[in-house]
Amino acid sequence: MLHRSDALRGYLLMSPTLLIMLVGIVAPFVILLTMSLWTRSGFEFDTTLTLANYERTWNEPIFGALLKRSFWISGVATAATVILCYPMAYYVAFHVHRNKMMWIILMTLPFWTSYLLRVFAWKVILGYEGVVNSGLIALGFIDEPLGFLLYSQEAVIITLAHAWAAFAILPMYVSLEKIDKSLLEAATDLGDGPAARFLRVTLPLSMPGIIAACFLIFIPTTGDYITPALLGGPDGVMIGNFIQLQFGPANNWPMGATLAIILMLWIAAIAAVFLFVTRLAARRVA
Amino acid sequence: MDVVDQIAAVNEGKLSRRAFTRSLLAAGVALGAPLGGARRAMAAPEDQGTYFTWGGYDIPDLFQPYLEKHGELPNFAVFGGSEEALTKMRGGFVVDVSHPCNQALPRWIKTGLFQPIDPSRLSNWPDVIPELVDLEGNDAEDGKVWLAPFDWGQTSITYRTDLYDLEGEEESWDMLWNPKYKGKLGSLASGGDAWWVGAIKAGVDFKDIDSPEAFDKIAAVMREQRPLIRTYTDDNTTLEQALSSGEMVASMTWASSAVQLQAEDVPVRFAKPKEGALTWVCGLMIHKDAPKLDKAYDIIDSLLSVETGHFMINDYGYGHSNIKAFDAFDQETLDGLGLSRQPSEILSAGHFQVPQTQEWETRMNELFEQIKAGF
Repeated sequence: MLHRSDALRGYLLMSPTLLIMLVGIVAPFVILLTMSLWTRSGFEFDTTLTLANYERTWNEPIFGALLKRSFWISGVATAATVILCYPMAYYVAFHVHRNKMMWIILMTLPFWTSYLLRVFAWKVILGYEGVVNSGLIALGFIDEPLGFLLYSQEAVIITLAHAWAAFAILPMYVSLEKIDKSLLEAATDLGDGPAARFLRVTLPLSMPGIIAACFLIFIPTTGDYITPALLGGPDGVMIGNFIQLQFGPANNWPMGATLAIILMLWIAAIAAVFLFVTRLAARRVA
Repeated sequence: MDVVDQIAAVNEGKLSRRAFTRSLLAAGVALGAPLGGARRAMAAPEDQGTYFTWGGYDIPDLFQPYLEKHGELPNFAVFGGSEEALTKMRGGFVVDVSHPCNQALPRWIKTGLFQPIDPSRLSNWPDVIPELVDLEGNDAEDGKVWLAPFDWGQTSITYRTDLYDLEGEEESWDMLWNPKYKGKLGSLASGGDAWWVGAIKAGVDFKDIDSPEAFDKIAAVMREQRPLIRTYTDDNTTLEQALSSGEMVASMTWASSAVQLQAEDVPVRFAKPKEGALTWVCGLMIHKDAPKLDKAYDIIDSLLSVETGHFMINDYGYGHSNIKAFDAFDQETLDGLGLSRQPSEILSAGHFQVPQTQEWETRMNELFEQIKAGF
């Protein structure tokens, strides 16, 4: 009886969240799933349930290619962000002793401006007459502006890697900060040099932060819309842009819904594999 | 003076620190000002009408009469292509006035989302050029019309006369297919312009544009062009900046891009392709549930006014529908802009867009988007 009421109390406590989840996530998901089984006819929907859209994504190479490209761009961006941000998080966790909060705030300061503005800023930096190109020309390294800096996959990767840095620094900082310093001393006492100590103690113990950072960046950037739209050019189009097209000019909402579902499934699968592999690796190191 | 120059000037001691700080301040104000402006536009009182239009038409210069009457600008929403606009309105976006073109008119009417316009409520209507009103499907009953014509003109190529070498050839749409300028060519992203240009290039008559062979032929030329294109965009500013910096040497644009670049002394020409330019008439339609019907008529009347016409002709290089707007310009100026008091002279000299079915429109958009993505 007591047990039951405990459970009941738990649900009551959770009810605001549950309600939001239900209304804000489950319901739209069900709508999306249903719509993906419809087809378009003119401006209306044909509501007979069919897997035709899924078949199309399987048969037409464009969808697979765009998915692959999205995972590639977002994967590289994720790796770059994590690698670039790890030293920053490491420095603050181990070598800053006073005003840590101020350091964290300083590092996340650029992220107080809107995402869109940051993307535009990169457009200015990477542009044909942008900061990088005019700088290189002024220094005499190049005679003509580098065209590949803008409207390319590289531009998208650079921008994503910067735009999402805050999401990498914070979780990695938290897990590095939690590491018991006496473990490091013990490792040194037992004869580990700095490199071995890092690989055998610090890195495995900060793994949860790294994994969290990877997820936090990989999942949203795969479906990113605005960065490839503004900086990607014809070759930088990602799946998010294509989904938007289905809801916009191509006017095929069911197809858009299908693509969204497929993207979700793929991300879930990749995340599961990634988690499994890192677990395995962590166990082996430990 | 650009930033690099300024830094160099500081190093050489030519520019005082104070002057440098002052220009930094100016840059800051310049960056901040549009933000303030945007906020003001958003904060425009709820009781102004909403105008859903192409990028570039959301400026005060077109709304002086409206501004005088109501003290505020209308609210603006901007689209990149009229198909996108229609999809949004079908999805439930309610505006007062929108801005389709002749090619989309029958399809827009068919959706039932619009109401006929009563010309007697427009003070400028008697001056509207009749042949622009007389578009396919525009006749609503009782002397009413569906679309009040506003602007007309051409889609053609704006190219840098100093960077694009014609090599003695005539101006032609082939310029946008010239592999010599790979990665330095630009295009509008909307199929509403680009696909029709593809038809001209492929030699497809607009009467036959709805046929499997036409689709194949146009798709083939669009695929051929795609690797040459730096970027597809519906943002005129992006194309204009790229042309002025030399990032692009030629691009498909509307007349306004060329006129504005010329005003800034960038050496560009708006080509008269030997195959003929793409021509169109655009106008204004009122949403059937327009929440501010009176303001909707004021928006239209303001756009049809002589004042607005002057701006459209002089600053954008578009034709206007108000015949009196042309009085301020001599024949030579109009010729220079590729305009005329008789729109038919210009419109029939180029390729005038022909209305198509919804199925065609959707199929075209889908196919063109795939081609742009590289397939």
